[in-house]
Amino acid sequence: MVGKKAVKERTRSASRSAFIAGVGKWIFVGIMIVFTIYPIIYTVLGSLKTNVELTQGGGFLPSEWHFENFYQAFVEADFVRYTGNSIIVSTAVTALAVITCSLAGFILARRNFVGKKVLLALYMTMMFVSLGSVTLYPIYELLQALKINKSLVGLIIALTGGQAANVFLVMGFTKAIPKELDEAAIIDGCSLYGVYSRIIVPLSKPILAVVALFAFRNSWNDYITSLIMTIAVPKLQTLTVAVVQLKYSVNAAAEWHIMLAGASIAIIPILIVYMLAHKQFIAGLTAGAVKG
Amino acid sequence: MKGKQAALRPMQRKKAVIKNLQAYSFMLPNLILFAACSLYPVIWTLKYVFYQYGGYGTGEPLFVGFENLARVFRDKVYWESVLHTFTYGFGKLILILPLAFFLALLLNEQKKGNGLAQSIVFLPTIMSSAVMGLVFYLLFNAYNGEINKYLMEAHIIDQPINWLGKDHAMKTLVITAVWGGVGNYMVYFIAGIQQVSTDVIESAKIDGAGRLQSIWYIILPMLGPILKIILMLAITSAFNDITNVMVLTEGGPNNATMVMSLYGYKYFFPVSATQAAVPQYGYGAAVSVISAVIAGAVTVVYLKISKKLDDIY
Repeated sequence: MVGKKAVKERTRSASRSAFIAGVGKWIFVGIMIVFTIYPIIYTVLGSLKTNVELTQGGGFLPSEWHFENFYQAFVEADFVRYTGNSIIVSTAVTALAVITCSLAGFILARRNFVGKKVLLALYMTMMFVSLGSVTLYPIYELLQALKINKSLVGLIIALTGGQAANVFLVMGFTKAIPKELDEAAIIDGCSLYGVYSRIIVPLSKPILAVVALFAFRNSWNDYITSLIMTIAVPKLQTLTVAVVQLKYSVNAAAEWHIMLAGASIAIIPILIVYMLAHKQFIAGLTAGAVKG
Repeated sequence: MKGKQAALRPMQRKKAVIKNLQAYSFMLPNLILFAACSLYPVIWTLKYVFYQYGGYGTGEPLFVGFENLARVFRDKVYWESVLHTFTYGFGKLILILPLAFFLALLLNEQKKGNGLAQSIVFLPTIMSSAVMGLVFYLLFNAYNGEINKYLMEAHIIDQPINWLGKDHAMKTLVITAVWGGVGNYMVYFIAGIQQVSTDVIESAKIDGAGRLQSIWYIILPMLGPILKIILMLAITSAFNDITNVMVLTEGGPNNATMVMSLYGYKYFFPVSATQAAVPQYGYGAAVSVISAVIAGAVTVVYLKISKKLDDIY
């Protein structure tokens, strides 16, 4: 009897401590969630307020929903053009990254060729040598010499870059695909190109999706490369560059609402992509970092 | 017999050439981009370390030997920027790693609500640090910003804090860096924790280990190898952060938040639209090369230390 009571008592105290632990957990997680999400909500709600409301202090929600801020940003601040540029650049960079990484990753995983070891060593070295943004200058000079610095093509090339990390990612993934599949296809009369397009590409869709997702995110969000490659021709600016330039406009102090409307235009598309593919984003991060 | 072999050899050679050409047809698109955007710029930078050059219209590059490198060692502002980089990186690590670790511990189980919380905390990772840098610039504004407004309404402070002023700019920068990175490291930690077999934790529970004990004695030690990678990523990324500094504080006020990546950049491009740059490509190249060497040295030291730790365990 006594033992039973003690057991009951113990389970009750255990469940109570579990309850307290649960409350403690959600207080901590709740604080972190508020910390994380507050600047984003501020941006989106702020884009619908007036400048006076933003700078003089108003409520959390806009007193009136000023959707005309977006009209002003799109039309008067020319954001239609910048949005178009961003869409073109991100799409092209994503496509280029996926195609070039997939081709290179496949051949590095499957064939031995003259100079392969040197190339692998070079790619590896470049992953660890980080000279930072100063390398944009020689790239800009090169694009200037090729006369493609005054179009989006130059920016697309500069933003895609060598993709060394992604090449290794695709190479690793391809190595895990059984070689017997290639051999069977070759016996059935497939050429190397056939093996690549009919066997390898369909099977490496998961890793190519990761490459695509991160290439899209990086190009959509990029600031410094886009800033420098459009220095000569401001009408080629992408959204992020145009938004940040608002900070330096003559009447910046009176345009907080336009800045926030611009910021919202820049972050909402990527938010939508994230809502659709948040699992892939999170899984892709660990595929690239921890395993590599 | 002999003739047959001789006839075979050119054919084999031809086959090998074709095979190599075929391989390079796959390599080429990536290789061109790699050569133009990774390899060439690094070689260019290494070359111009030894030159004085101001760009188009300033005359031919002038060979100056080790003068640029020597100037870097004399440059007080540069070494201050190195110090700021370490302050920034250390501040970021010391805050972000425990926060990310606790979030991972609390949210790694597949329970209702955990997935959603993970997705929300991960959100900043997908946002443009430039755009959010602008938003933080407005939020932390001393007189009109919402942060000061809330703090004053809650009577935590009487006077507005000058978040972007000399005394606080670095703290503000670290806060925004934590905001941008904590979800990232949480996901790394979750991946690590999920590799610790649940059987081990279960059996520890049966043996009477409490929650804290199993964290301290089982999860943390077993996390070792992944923790090493996470720390390494955290250190290298702290050296490379530049966008948020550039947008939020522009390295100012008065170089208080100048980090070494931005200091090299300054000699190539204007840091903000309101500043004019006087390009000194040679000197900028020297600054970046030395910064890369410093970052590399820290990584090597870290690897050495973490290897020693391995031997102890």
